[in-house]
Amino acid sequence: MNESVHLSKQFDEDLTGLRTHVLEMGGLVEAQARAAIHAYASGDTAAVKDIVENDYRVNGFEKIIDEETIHVVAKRQPTASDLRLVMGITKIVTDLERIGDEAKKIAKGARRVHEHGQLTLPRATDVRHVADEAIAMLHQALDSFARLDVVKAAEVIHADTKVDTEFKALVRQLITYMMEDPRTITTAIDIVWICRSVERIGDHAKNVAEHVIYIAEGRDIRHAGKEA
Amino acid sequence: MIQSLALSFVFAIPSFVLGILVSPAWGLAFFCVVLALRQLKSLRYFSRLENWTRDPSAQDVPEGAGAWDEVFARLHRHEKEMRAAIARRDVELQQVAAAGQAIVDGIVTLDTDNRIVWCNIAAGNQLGLDLRSDRGQPIANLVRQPAFVEYLAVGDYSRPLRLSSVRDDGQVLSIHILPYAGGDRLVQVRDVTQSERLDQMRRDFVANVSHELRTPLTVLSGFLETVRELPLAAAERDRYLAMMAEQSGRMQSIVQDLLTLSTLESSPPPPGTELVHVPDLLGRLQRDAEALSGGRHEISLAADAVDIFGAESELASAFGNLISNAVRYTPAGGKIDIAWQRRGSSAEFSVTDNGIGIDARHIPRLTERFYRADLGRSRETGGTGLGLAIVKHALSRHQAKLDVFSAPGSGSRFSALFPATRLTAESSCAKPM
Repeated sequence: MNESVHLSKQFDEDLTGLRTHVLEMGGLVEAQARAAIHAYASGDTAAVKDIVENDYRVNGFEKIIDEETIHVVAKRQPTASDLRLVMGITKIVTDLERIGDEAKKIAKGARRVHEHGQLTLPRATDVRHVADEAIAMLHQALDSFARLDVVKAAEVIHADTKVDTEFKALVRQLITYMMEDPRTITTAIDIVWICRSVERIGDHAKNVAEHVIYIAEGRDIRHAGKEA
Repeated sequence: MIQSLALSFVFAIPSFVLGILVSPAWGLAFFCVVLALRQLKSLRYFSRLENWTRDPSAQDVPEGAGAWDEVFARLHRHEKEMRAAIARRDVELQQVAAAGQAIVDGIVTLDTDNRIVWCNIAAGNQLGLDLRSDRGQPIANLVRQPAFVEYLAVGDYSRPLRLSSVRDDGQVLSIHILPYAGGDRLVQVRDVTQSERLDQMRRDFVANVSHELRTPLTVLSGFLETVRELPLAAAERDRYLAMMAEQSGRMQSIVQDLLTLSTLESSPPPPGTELVHVPDLLGRLQRDAEALSGGRHEISLAADAVDIFGAESELASAFGNLISNAVRYTPAGGKIDIAWQRRGSSAEFSVTDNGIGIDARHIPRLTERFYRADLGRSRETGGTGLGLAIVKHALSRHQAKLDVFSAPGSGSRFSALFPATRLTAESSCAKPM
C-alpha cells in the first residue's frame, strides 16, 4: 500500500514536471516570435542574431521533453487521461518547435527586408497586426493547456480563420504593389514569406489547442472540418 | 459524577432495608432493577450525544438530566464559543483579503513549490491570472516569459525584475519576489510604465539637446578653421561666412525655442482678462505663411468673429507653428485651410493641409521634444523639433488640447478646441475677414 502511494505521488510529480517544461518551452517560443515581429516592425535588426541563436534552446527543450515522455511511458505505463496527456504533450512539443522555426524565419526575413532598406511599402504595419493576433492565439493556447480549459481552446481554433483571412488579404495587397512598381518585388516577396510564417504560427497554435481538447476530453477534433 | 454515585448509594439504602425486612434476594433484586433502569437512561443520553456528534450544531446540543445535564450544558457553551471565534476569524480574514485587494500593486502569494495560493485583482489583470481556476497552479505555467521563469528559478530576489507585459502593449512591470514565513513567497507586481517613459524622455531630451546643438557647432568650427588658416578668395570667403551665419542662426532658433518652452513652463498662467482678436491675429499669420510659401501653396482663411481671453504672444506662437508646419510639409501646389469656427459654446482652431501626412504610429509622440517623424525632412526644412512641444504647452495653458488627424499621403489636420470660459460671445472687432 505504502509503496503504491509513493509510486503514484512520484508519477504525479513526473507529469507535473513534464507539463511545466512544455509551458516553459511555450513561453520561450512565444518570446522568440514576439522578438522576431518586433525586429521586423521596428527595424531593430540587432536582435535577429539573438533570436537565431536562441533557437538552439528551443530545440534543446524538444529533446529533453521527448526523453522525459519516453521515460514516463516506459516506467509508469500511463493509462486513460494520463496517457492522453503524455501523447498530447509529444504532439504539442512538435508544434512548438515548428513555431520556433517560423520565428527564426521571420527574424531572418526582417533582416533581409531592412538591409534592402526599403520598407516604405505602404501597409507593412498590417503584418504586425496579424502577427499580434497569431501570437495572442499561441498565448491563449498555452493558457488553455495550463488550465486544461476546453472553452478557451475552442476560441483559439475559431480565431485561426481570422488570421488566415487577413493573411490572404495581405498577400493580395502585396501583389498589387508588385504590379504597380516592379522595384518593390524583392522586398514584397520577403514580406510575403514573413506573412506566411505568421500564418503558420497561427496554424500551429490552433494545433496546440486541438491537442488540449484531446487531452481534456479524449475527443480528436483534428480534420473535423466545420464540426470543430 | 459524585452526584451520580451518591444517588446510587441513596437507592442502596431502601434495597438494604428491603433485604432485612423481606429477604436478601428481594433486596438484591430491587437494587439490580434500579441500577439497570439508571443504566438504560444513561444509554439513552449517550445515544443522543452520539447522534449529535455526527452533525454537531450549536442549536441542538442534546439536553439531559442529572450528571448528563451538566456535561451537555458545558458542551453547548464550548460549541457556541468556538462558533463565535470562527466567525470572528472569518471577518478578520475577509478584512485582510479586502486590504490585499485595495493595494494598487499586484500581489500574488506562492507556496514553497511556487504554486499560486492567492492573488489580488490587480495581479490578475497584470499577469493574466484568474484565482477561480488557477489556485494551486505553478505560477511559471501561466507567467511564461523566459525572463520571469529564470528570475523565479535562479532565486536571487535581491533586486526586482523589469518585464514588459505581453497583455498590454508597452506596459512595463516591475516584479519583486519577497520570501516570507518559511519558504512561502510573495510576488509584488508594480506598473512602472509611466516612470519608465519619463526616464526615457529625460534621457532623450538631454541627448537630443546636445546632439542638436553639436551638429551646427561642428559645421561652424570647421568653417572657422578653414577661413582662418587658408588663403581664400573673397567670393569663397563670403560663401563660407554665409554658411556660418546660417548655422549660427539655426543654433539661435533652437536656443530661442528652448527658452520659449521654459518660459511657458515657468511663467504664471495666461491672463483671463486680456482679449486676443483672433481673426486679426490669423490674418497676420496667413500673410506670414504666404511669405514663407512664396506662392507655392494656396492658403485660405475662414474665421468666425470670436475672441480669446489669453496671452497673444503664446497663441501667436502656437497657431504660427501649426501653420508654418503645414506650409513646410505640403508639397508645392498643395492647399492649406486655416479655420477658426464656433462649435456650440466652444470654438475650434484648425489647420488642414493635403500634404505628405503622418504615419499613425508617430502621432502620439509628435509633441515630444525633438521627436521627428522623418528626420531628414525635418532638418532640411529648418525645423528645430520643438515646434509642436511649444504648441502643446501654449494650448494647454489656454485649456485647449491639440488634436491630430492624419494619414500618410492624404494630408493632416491639426486642431484645438477652446472652452467657452476662454471665449467672448462676439468678436469686438467686427471687421469681416
